[in-house]
Amino acid sequence: MRRVAVIGVGVTKFGKHERTCAELFAEAGLDALTDAGIRPRQIQGVYVGNVVGEAGERQLHLGPQVTSALGIPEVAATRFETACASSHAAFRHALFEIASGAADVLLVGGTERVLTMPTDRSTEVFAYASDAVFEQPAGLTFPGVFALIARAHMTKYGTTEEQMAHVAVKNHRHGVHNPKAQFRKEISVEQVMRSAKVADPLKLYDCCPFSDGAAAVVLASEEVARATRKPVWVLGSVQAGDSMCLHDKRDLSRAMATERAAQAAYRQAGLGPEDVDVVELHDCFTIAEIVATEGLGLCEPGTGGIAAEKGETSLGGRIPVNVSGGLKAKGHPIGATGAAQIAEITTQLRGEAGPRQVDGASVGLTHTLGGNTATVLVSLFGQEPR
Amino acid sequence: MNATAATETDRGMTAREFFDGVRAGRLVVQRCAACGALAVPPKAVCPTCESTRWDRATLGGDGEIASYTVIRVPPGQLAADAPYVVAVARMAEGVSLLGRLTGVPIEAIGVGLPVRFAGALRDAEPVVIAFRPR
Repeated sequence: MRRVAVIGVGVTKFGKHERTCAELFAEAGLDALTDAGIRPRQIQGVYVGNVVGEAGERQLHLGPQVTSALGIPEVAATRFETACASSHAAFRHALFEIASGAADVLLVGGTERVLTMPTDRSTEVFAYASDAVFEQPAGLTFPGVFALIARAHMTKYGTTEEQMAHVAVKNHRHGVHNPKAQFRKEISVEQVMRSAKVADPLKLYDCCPFSDGAAAVVLASEEVARATRKPVWVLGSVQAGDSMCLHDKRDLSRAMATERAAQAAYRQAGLGPEDVDVVELHDCFTIAEIVATEGLGLCEPGTGGIAAEKGETSLGGRIPVNVSGGLKAKGHPIGATGAAQIAEITTQLRGEAGPRQVDGASVGLTHTLGGNTATVLVSLFGQEPR
Repeated sequence: MNATAATETDRGMTAREFFDGVRAGRLVVQRCAACGALAVPPKAVCPTCESTRWDRATLGGDGEIASYTVIRVPPGQLAADAPYVVAVARMAEGVSLLGRLTGVPIEAIGVGLPVRFAGALRDAEPVVIAFRPR
């Protein structure tokens, strides 16, 4: 397999947009191409993550719509859907296409518009990513999924609502320094604790927002990457699965797919969790960050909440997590999230993250959940190729 | 309570059949004919032993709450139900099920609460499993 690098990144502002998914992707894609110093027609293929295009925009067949919006309609383009992990799955597909020698330069990312829908409709549409027969009819929402996980984690380990609140406070503090973030204001533990209940024990400020936005990265072979300004190398990338239904998973307090993907990705890279300097992980809900830090081996089982409370996962802490603001503050345009995480890690490993830069970061990790933890992708990146 | 004896070998159980059972007040589930593992939802291959031979088993109906949540922001079509309790119950035979917990004040719910399968939540499609406290 050939070495592959990220050579350019582009991310739109996250929040509410009036432009279409394709137009948003064109902005992020063009920014990524410009950053890479690659002409649009050097791109040999486009992979785009998108989840709710049908419901949000009545749009299928998004692939050629984004290449048409970019002005390169003749380029092959395909949409990927693995719920919230869609653009991370698209990334991994592109990685293997280049690693195998089938392509040299690909554009990959994701785009989403959710704020075209009112909250009750988007809550319903997001629930489509849970089981339509065994879960949706009971009224299980996505906050509900992670509330069930939270309750199990609290019961098993004694994790508290205050510890979960610390995750939200930290990620909001980080988001202040990210000009692309949807929310750029600090919040307090008290504000989180007082916010409206959504799905007990989760409250409004435990939940990431609904967001529109797009993100894209340019992936290239070593030969192409060596001629660019600051390539960031892909050291490993693994997708793992778990049972579709929450009740059918082995242990509600763990994300088994995260553990499987992380272990395999560390093996691919020849690294362990102790080698990672900066992490962008899937904090769709505060408990999701706690479970992920444990599943990725950054914290001992049951200590993810304590780590957040003690500041271990803050910028300047032992292992900074979600210095972009995470999904919580940066926003979560679901199809774009995986690519946005990869863009952040690339920026960090290039040393170009400004006030949110993790000093000396040379190895980074991205982790993206799809649905109720039934799909997980973990990728590792380095300043130097393996 | 133990699962009842298998009556036929089957690898084609459907969700429809499972929920028809729920409507009739029975929890009929797949049981691996090789290793005895129970499966909900139905599966083609046993995740434990890779057998493709399945029997049926009828659960006794007793379980306890493994986790629960009070949904206060519902999907649009369930607005009239909110707030409502969605729970995962671990059944006595070892398999877990997701459904609605009714007939108990929210303050009285906790992990470990003994519950009993109470048929379908309402007499309408789609079928939803209901639990009540024992």
